[in-house]
Amino acid sequence: MTIDSTALTHAPATLQRARVLRIPRSPKVIAGLVILGVFSVTPYSPNATDTQNWVRHVLVPGTGGDSGFPASYYPLPLGPSAAHWLGTTVFAQDAWSQLLASTQATMFVGLLAAAIATVLSIIFGVTAGYIGGATDEGLSLVANVSLAIPGLPLLIVLADYVPSAGSSLALVAAIIAVTTWAYTARTLRAQTLSLRNRDFVEASRVSGEGSLRIIGVEILPNLIPIVAASFLFTSLTAIYAYVAISFLGLAGSPTGSPPGLWNWGEMLREGFANNAVRGGWWWWWAPPRICVALLGTGLALVNFGIDEFINPRLRTSGLTAKAARKAGAHVSATLGLTPVMRRTATAANTTPSTPDAVLEIRGLSVDYGYGDQAVHAVRDCDLVLRRGRVLGLAGESGSGKTTLALAAIRLLRAPAVITEGQVLFHSKPFTGDNPKETIDMLAAGPHRLREIRWSEIAVVLQSSLNALNPVTTIGAQFDDMLRAHRPHMSRDQRYTRGVELLDMVGMNGDRLRSYPHELSGGMRQRAMIAMALALEPQVMVLDEPTTALDVVTQREILEELMGLRDRLGFAALFITHDLSLLVEFADDIAVMYAGRLMERAPANSLFRAPRLPYTHGLLHCFPPMHGKRVPMAGIPGSPPDLRDLPSGCAFHPRCKWALDQCKHDVPVLRSIPGPNREVACWLHRNGATPPLELSLAEPGDVMRERLSQVDIQ
Amino acid sequence: MRALVRRFGVYLLAAWVAVTVSFLLPRVVPGNPVAGAVARASQSGNCNAQCVRAIELQLGYNVHTSMWDQYTQYIGNLLHGDLGHSWSENAPVGSLILSYLPWTLVLLGISTTLAFLGGSAIGTLIAWRRGSWTDWLIPFATFFQALPFFFLGIVLVLVLGQTGTMLKWFPSLFGYDIYATTPGPNLPYIGSVVSHAILPAATVVLASMAGFILSIRNQVITTMDEDFVLVAQAKGLPGRTVVWYAVRNALLPVVANFTIAISLVVGGQILVEIVFNYPGIGFHLFDALGKLDYPLVQGVFVVITLVVLVANLIADAVYVAIDPRARQAA
Repeated sequence: MTIDSTALTHAPATLQRARVLRIPRSPKVIAGLVILGVFSVTPYSPNATDTQNWVRHVLVPGTGGDSGFPASYYPLPLGPSAAHWLGTTVFAQDAWSQLLASTQATMFVGLLAAAIATVLSIIFGVTAGYIGGATDEGLSLVANVSLAIPGLPLLIVLADYVPSAGSSLALVAAIIAVTTWAYTARTLRAQTLSLRNRDFVEASRVSGEGSLRIIGVEILPNLIPIVAASFLFTSLTAIYAYVAISFLGLAGSPTGSPPGLWNWGEMLREGFANNAVRGGWWWWWAPPRICVALLGTGLALVNFGIDEFINPRLRTSGLTAKAARKAGAHVSATLGLTPVMRRTATAANTTPSTPDAVLEIRGLSVDYGYGDQAVHAVRDCDLVLRRGRVLGLAGESGSGKTTLALAAIRLLRAPAVITEGQVLFHSKPFTGDNPKETIDMLAAGPHRLREIRWSEIAVVLQSSLNALNPVTTIGAQFDDMLRAHRPHMSRDQRYTRGVELLDMVGMNGDRLRSYPHELSGGMRQRAMIAMALALEPQVMVLDEPTTALDVVTQREILEELMGLRDRLGFAALFITHDLSLLVEFADDIAVMYAGRLMERAPANSLFRAPRLPYTHGLLHCFPPMHGKRVPMAGIPGSPPDLRDLPSGCAFHPRCKWALDQCKHDVPVLRSIPGPNREVACWLHRNGATPPLELSLAEPGDVMRERLSQVDIQ
Repeated sequence: MRALVRRFGVYLLAAWVAVTVSFLLPRVVPGNPVAGAVARASQSGNCNAQCVRAIELQLGYNVHTSMWDQYTQYIGNLLHGDLGHSWSENAPVGSLILSYLPWTLVLLGISTTLAFLGGSAIGTLIAWRRGSWTDWLIPFATFFQALPFFFLGIVLVLVLGQTGTMLKWFPSLFGYDIYATTPGPNLPYIGSVVSHAILPAATVVLASMAGFILSIRNQVITTMDEDFVLVAQAKGLPGRTVVWYAVRNALLPVVANFTIAISLVVGGQILVEIVFNYPGIGFHLFDALGKLDYPLVQGVFVVITLVVLVANLIADAVYVAIDPRARQAA
């Protein structure tokens, strides 16, 4: 049993200080804790206070395992009865008492060894991790060396050489601790090291708190889950080591030693040595085994629960599919396809709404989770991406923009599920073998989607460091994609194409041989764009493609991307929170808030004359790159919790112009005067008078624009 | 290369520590180990004055050279491959160990490889098909992972072994049929060796595979959430390629943690050998302990440590080979 140390090293990224002490409450953990509790408490129950004497209690006075009488002297072991719950042994001892005494000693050694090892590893790990430098080097070396020496052989040899080990439980525990502490120490060191550089620890240090205080208050509490997991892990290792060496007769024999030394291993050994198995005296040899197995299961269950607690991804995995089935959704197990729940069989109307539509989203709703716990991340969204155009999708984080875009191409993973709507892809391939046709994305099977993906619809994600496979070269990643979609190309042709593509984004063809970590952030993103363009797709989904880059690189890459758009003619769905960026590059912009589309307009109109209070706020969050200065107002408050949306218009609590109606009724997109303008806002409906800021003139209308500027001034 | 050299340095140091511990133990522990050893040796037969002297020399008792001189001589002997002389077998420890080692290495190599490959395959399958029937394997894996090796060994002997009481399908004592076959390149002997290896190997495979299954499963599930797997899916790559993307990356931390796994497996195998009286190095360690044959005990301990260190070095080299980032740093 090993602890998933990578999960542990990532742990406190998600652990806030308040969460640390929460015990995971899964049935597995509870079952495990109950088992552990029974083992720790039973030997000390009132009936068992006298165990040490009971062990000595024999049916024939003056005899016993240590009295030198051979086993044949005794009556055959008796089966379980009211007087002897687990029968008797060949030495006419009460097996139940023996089991209780054994459990007591075994648990004592295990827990004591784990405690010593844990204390040792905390001291070592925290000191090494916190002080760093030469101390760290030295201590890590000690830990690594003792980790490399195999523990059990060392334990066997140590236990054998130290003659008094057999008579002292504490000494056995200490020896076991010495052979098991290093692993935990190493894990704790790594954890402390990463905690040390966290902001809240830096803050304490800057504010002049002493090292000991920082360790005690800031670092140790964050280590608790790992320490707990390691403690359980070490106690199990220690118990098994103890049982194992006792079974081999290496931990000192109780025959001739104080009775406290009975343990499960010893019981097993005596049973085996005296033919308990062949004699069919199961009540003697079976109980210690069942104890070993039960205890192992108990600790494993707890450990499993802690793993899931530390790494929540492990937990969500199994549950969602079950919940989906319960909710009546058909979930295809094939990974990489967002499941679709069809409540109503819609007679699909597949005619494009405008002749130049390439990707059409109609009434799309996406949930995370199923049934009662479902979070509605996207609701009833309509979007039309037109051939060769750039459609910007804007909104704060958590507004559902990425969810909408990835769901439309079925890339969103479970627990996401598409609950309603229609997505049509009107394909007219530039190159390749795919025919001209309209594809219902939500009905398409895995095979069909695989054909379309990348060859017709490609994706560029925000962080290219994570988007490229870290263990293969850029060239290999071009190659497997070309091999999948252009099977007729030869190896040389694929290579040439790779060089050509890199050249297109201004990179040297030699870079095909590079691994992702050898490239800068900008280069990686260029390589990603080159890869996305390799099959000349009709649609590119750009999910914040430049957010992670510095401003200069960002601009360079965007300009290049738009140049390529002009040359290759793909349509782009451009997702960003930076409206000012969209204004420069997008033809049309859609603004999302809390999972709904709130405003749609040509880029220039939206920028110059926003109609939605939220859009107005977003525009005043970023300084414009050109033009006159405007005060940066921002938007008061923070994005709403999707699990607990405000009634009516989700934006009303943050809206300074909110009407009474906004609190009760959800506004939907409606056309308003202007070129292709739509807004979901009560301020523009039912004869309400929108405030001046939201009724600026359309940019095309020069006279009114001037007038309104005069108005403002 | 630098990282590898560093690791090599750590292993050298570990080897030195192990050697020194085995030198110091009989010399620093309280009590008189010689008396016990002589008593035990006399019990089993003939410990004459020569034998007593040999024991004293080995344990550094009643020797009129300084501890340091004994130590340098001990190290010098080790470097020449001289591990001392076994009392119980009356043979050089080095050649004894050489004759035990193949049994252990073959059993260890085959069963660890099987456990790793099988565990990786099953773990990946469970992660990939999460939410399907394969999830039922998880509790079983958790249970087996928690069982100690020797314990599983006894259960297998009991249920399947010929010395057990139930099915008696497979031989469960010794490395081959010591009565009916003669060691050598003959068919009955080889067949006997294979059939005798089945239960011990099954024990090691079952006990260590469960650990691999769970850690690979956890890693694959974690890796599948990475963006590069999403991109692989977006690229329309065949399912098999996408799985490979995830598994290839999930293997990295598992290989990096091999140090722990190998120590556990070697420790476990020692116990398994003892349970099955399998004539490998672990069984003879146990045997030598019983006979208080300290030179053999020390020799076996040093060699086991070396085996583990070499295995670790191989794992490190494999890691550097499969992770380009480590290659750059190395």
